[in-house]
Amino acid sequence: MAKRKIGVRKEVVLDNGIAIEVKNLSKSFRLPTERSWGLKQAIFNRLRGVKGYKDQRVLRNLSFKVNKGEFLGIVGRNGSGKSTLLKILSGIYYPESGEVTVNGTLVPFIELGVGFNPELTGRENVYLNGALLGFSKKEMDAMYEDIWKFAELEEFQDQKLKNYSSGMQVRLAFSIAIRAKGDILILDEVLAVGDAAFQQKCNDYFASLRGNQTVILVTHSMSNVRKFCDRAILIEGGKIVVEGEPEKVADEYMKLFQ
Amino acid sequence: MSIPRVLNRRNRILLGELTKTDFKLRYQGSVLGYLWALLRPLMMFAILYVVFSKLLRFGNDIPHYSVYLLTGTTLWSFFTECTSQGIQTMLMRGDLIRKVSFPKYILVVSSTMTAVINLSINLVVVVIFALINGVTPSLNWLLVPLFILELYILALGIAFLLGAINVKYRDIMSIWDVCIQALFYAVPIIYPVTMIANTSAFAAKLILLNPIAQVIQDVRYNLITTEAITIWNYLKNPVAIAVPFIITFVTLIIGSIYFRRASKFFAEEV
Repeated sequence: MAKRKIGVRKEVVLDNGIAIEVKNLSKSFRLPTERSWGLKQAIFNRLRGVKGYKDQRVLRNLSFKVNKGEFLGIVGRNGSGKSTLLKILSGIYYPESGEVTVNGTLVPFIELGVGFNPELTGRENVYLNGALLGFSKKEMDAMYEDIWKFAELEEFQDQKLKNYSSGMQVRLAFSIAIRAKGDILILDEVLAVGDAAFQQKCNDYFASLRGNQTVILVTHSMSNVRKFCDRAILIEGGKIVVEGEPEKVADEYMKLFQ
Repeated sequence: MSIPRVLNRRNRILLGELTKTDFKLRYQGSVLGYLWALLRPLMMFAILYVVFSKLLRFGNDIPHYSVYLLTGTTLWSFFTECTSQGIQTMLMRGDLIRKVSFPKYILVVSSTMTAVINLSINLVVVVIFALINGVTPSLNWLLVPLFILELYILALGIAFLLGAINVKYRDIMSIWDVCIQALFYAVPIIYPVTMIANTSAFAAKLILLNPIAQVIQDVRYNLITTEAITIWNYLKNPVAIAVPFIITFVTLIIGSIYFRRASKFFAEEV
């Protein structure tokens, strides 16, 4: 099997005003064409000279910068490569080629549950999640009350997570992400979850972040792009098609669907 | 990867927390559940002892054969537990790998920690059993942890290598299960090495080149009786003596290098 290329992902601590820098980033996934995943299939494929997979290009040669304290919106239709981009920025996927430089600590909130375990209680999950983000038990103790207060779920702390509704899980995960105080916050679609009251709370919180915290927000809500973002990027087919004023990007996004 | 980075603060915190949750999830807070896991090598010993020592009359010429056997089953359980937990852990923690970025080798190390805890408790049982059996304590006992460390390094190397391959080819775990079955008979656990040595000295030497066999014999030598055949007193060629140690370290090095590269794609493949 051909060796896969690996690009560069660097974590640095610099005082240059840049939070994230992406240079010529490309990524493709290897999708298996056969159903079976076994060793036998791999050997057969090799003997027959078949690849057994096809490469799916997801991101093509992206370059952009995020300044410190900037609120950047990323928009695009489903399957345009937004989530893959966020996962590469967060270090979950590796770039295939190009270079990603992350300056400072990064707290991602990308998918429902962020690694919650249904068999553990809310309390245990909070500490596990904290450890994954690099916080000790002591540091988590200090944030603990705050997290539950923001999530408004104090009474469910000692329930197993499988007894939480999905809305409750997202609220808890989101509260951890915003209380964890990283230098860069990466958020995917969180505004779409929770009831109206919780959404209002998140909106207020975002408004307060503007100018103080580096945030990258992936969203389908153009009103949020207009309201919160300093700058926005529209991605289509794995490429940046528009970059700049939130107004302009939001208008271009709407045009995609006409 | 340099040592300070491997043991940095974040990784230590994560290792502790993952070990704790691993333990909790596996036994679900049931004391009895944990007790069973702990009793496994003892049960295995009891069965093997009745079948091989009492019925088939193995090892009757060996002083303290029962302690001999218990030491073997304890170390063997440790080895199999470490490897099979380590190989499976990436699939069991797939949700974490897909959603959060963290050094993946911590998953493997934390999954072997339960086995390490079990071994420590079981070793206390072995020591008590040895004392009751009339084994005299000696300074040699202090060497035992060194050989256990060697066994742990081997198990970790195998877990890294096979665990990484298992993410892509899920049948590795089943293949390893079969290997474990075969290995059990290739290692002098139930039969004493002297039994092999009496028929073929060459076969006995070959058996001792296996690091698992070498460790078990060395632990028996230092813990129970200096009559035990070890690679040191049975093989004369220094190159041959080095073989099990070379196998152990080469396994760890190849395992870590392969794991390090493959782990960059775990999130896509798991």
